[in-house]
Amino acid sequence: MDNREVLVDIKNLRTFFYTEDGVVPAVDGVDLTIHRGEVVGLVGESGCGKSVTALSIIRLIPNPPGKIIGGEIFFHGEDLLKKNEEETRLIRGDKISMIFQEPMTSLNPVYTIGDQISEAITLHQKIDGAEAKKRTIEMLHLVGIPEPERRFSQYPHEMSGGMRQRVMIAMALSSNPELLISDEATTALDVTIQAQILDLMRGLQKKLGMAILIITHNLAVVAEMAETINIAYAGKIVESATAKEIFKAPRHPYTYGLLQSIPKFTEKRTNEPLPAIEGMVPSPYHMPKGCRFNPRCPFATEKCREEEPEIIELTPGHLVRCFHPIES
Amino acid sequence: MRDYIVRRVLGMIPLILIVMIVSFGIFSLVPNPFAALIENPRIKKSDIQRLIKAWGFDLPWYLRFFKWFGGVIRGDWGPSLLYPGSLARDIIARALPVTVRLMGIELLVSLAVALPIGIISAVKQYSVTDYVVTVFSFLGMSMPSFWLGLMMMMLFSVVLKRPDGMTPLLPAGGIITPGLEDASFWVKFGDRAQYLVLPVFVLSFISIGGWARYMRSSMLEVVRQDYIRTARAKGAPERLVINKHALRNAMIPIVTLIALSVPGIVGGAAITETIFNIPGMGSLIIQAEIKSDYPTAMIGLMLASVLVIVFNLVADIVYAWIDPRIKYS
Repeated sequence: MDNREVLVDIKNLRTFFYTEDGVVPAVDGVDLTIHRGEVVGLVGESGCGKSVTALSIIRLIPNPPGKIIGGEIFFHGEDLLKKNEEETRLIRGDKISMIFQEPMTSLNPVYTIGDQISEAITLHQKIDGAEAKKRTIEMLHLVGIPEPERRFSQYPHEMSGGMRQRVMIAMALSSNPELLISDEATTALDVTIQAQILDLMRGLQKKLGMAILIITHNLAVVAEMAETINIAYAGKIVESATAKEIFKAPRHPYTYGLLQSIPKFTEKRTNEPLPAIEGMVPSPYHMPKGCRFNPRCPFATEKCREEEPEIIELTPGHLVRCFHPIES
Repeated sequence: MRDYIVRRVLGMIPLILIVMIVSFGIFSLVPNPFAALIENPRIKKSDIQRLIKAWGFDLPWYLRFFKWFGGVIRGDWGPSLLYPGSLARDIIARALPVTVRLMGIELLVSLAVALPIGIISAVKQYSVTDYVVTVFSFLGMSMPSFWLGLMMMMLFSVVLKRPDGMTPLLPAGGIITPGLEDASFWVKFGDRAQYLVLPVFVLSFISIGGWARYMRSSMLEVVRQDYIRTARAKGAPERLVINKHALRNAMIPIVTLIALSVPGIVGGAAITETIFNIPGMGSLIIQAEIKSDYPTAMIGLMLASVLVIVFNLVADIVYAWIDPRIKYS
């Protein structure tokens, strides 16, 4: 249904963490496709494996304890997991960039922001210092930082959280990446700054045309930004569809539960408690047998407790990992 | 920044005065060195009284302090009791260069070895290298210097000989071979160097462990920071991540430790100096303290105090230079 060229194709990615308390299957069979220039959302609760998926793409899983034990990550048709350290390093920050949750701690406190952005540029482009400085100031201007020449020689502690996240974006985009991974990039910011940063990312996406993988636990963020949304639960993708379908006609009980739990301001206020999904996220050390959502699922049957469902394409472009998908 | 330094330097003056008064006061608690002579029946009581009066021990300590302090201001630190006939200043002037050379080289050697191995053992945490470094660090930290010193002496000065089969491979003690006064600079240099090998080795072996552990833990703290992940995410090679992004942050606490250990250079290492028969500050100051040679001991104390105070300021200045978040005004 999407005619654009496939940029990233993750197949059955499995990243486990080997801790003293046992093996944590943080990512256990994630499939994800990102087309060129597409904005894709990856949504899930804490611990569902969203960040680990992102770090697996750029191969920054701390090892030990983490290890990618299976699957493929195709980027332009080449498996990133087959590349050696040096080859992956050259892709990081050049073709694939990433911004992180904590703008307050993601910048090195002892170097100026100009130095840190210029470094990202000179690591991937053969240009001299003066040229890199010019490009850095352009980038700072692009991400809406006032007085970029003066800001160039400032240190991170002289900037607010929102400004620092703009610096991170400038750094990430300085080499014109084809994919920008945003790992909860707006979570730590207050709501007005969050909106500004999302606006900025959307504007830059239109202008520069890179694909974005937005990782968040906030459905409102992806509702605004993403074309395609993937819902992750306990290390697996449970539903994948266009944003419109996810919000209008969710098929997986988990997605449905998530959407039910969002307060709706259009409805009349009642004293009814907000619907919530029963139970807790399973402990990563003791994943339930069968479908991982079955202990919390109102529709679970004997089959769900015994067998693990495969992900199936219900309608073109709408994938669900469930034996009993909700009828729309 | 300049105002800050000026203010700090001015603040040192009262501080040093207080240190002088307190250490002199504590010193006066040591019984006067002539009291013991009463035991000796061949010395006349009146002679003892005369000595006590001549050295001012009949006065209360604060009056003695003013007398001593008056001299110090004029650059006269008084005569030595330990070495009658010599000035305390001259005694110190002979021991100080010996100790500074030994301890300075020891500090440089320790840091040059310990900081890189600390970094390596942090970067490769829980590797074989890390375990080997850890074992040797703790071995060094718990090693008694006199025992290691004697063992080294045994090996290099008794068992191992030079090709001629007669002279020991390295001298067992001392600082210089007599009779080389007219030799060329390089001959003298080599001569002094061979006397330094064993004591420097012993002292470094003991202190390397501590430095390596400090460096390791500081580095471990830094490499798990978010900005290190950012550096990797922008495609920086591992060498750059460690040597640029991590190291400068990890050095912030280490620099303070280094600056604060520099004053130790004048303090000497009494045990090792004694073992290797080195006429340095460590053994001198202990002798002076035991024998109530307060003019000599006070110079040693004042040197150490002034250096501690000065290097505290140096640590703060270097701190601000490495870490831009620190501003003094």
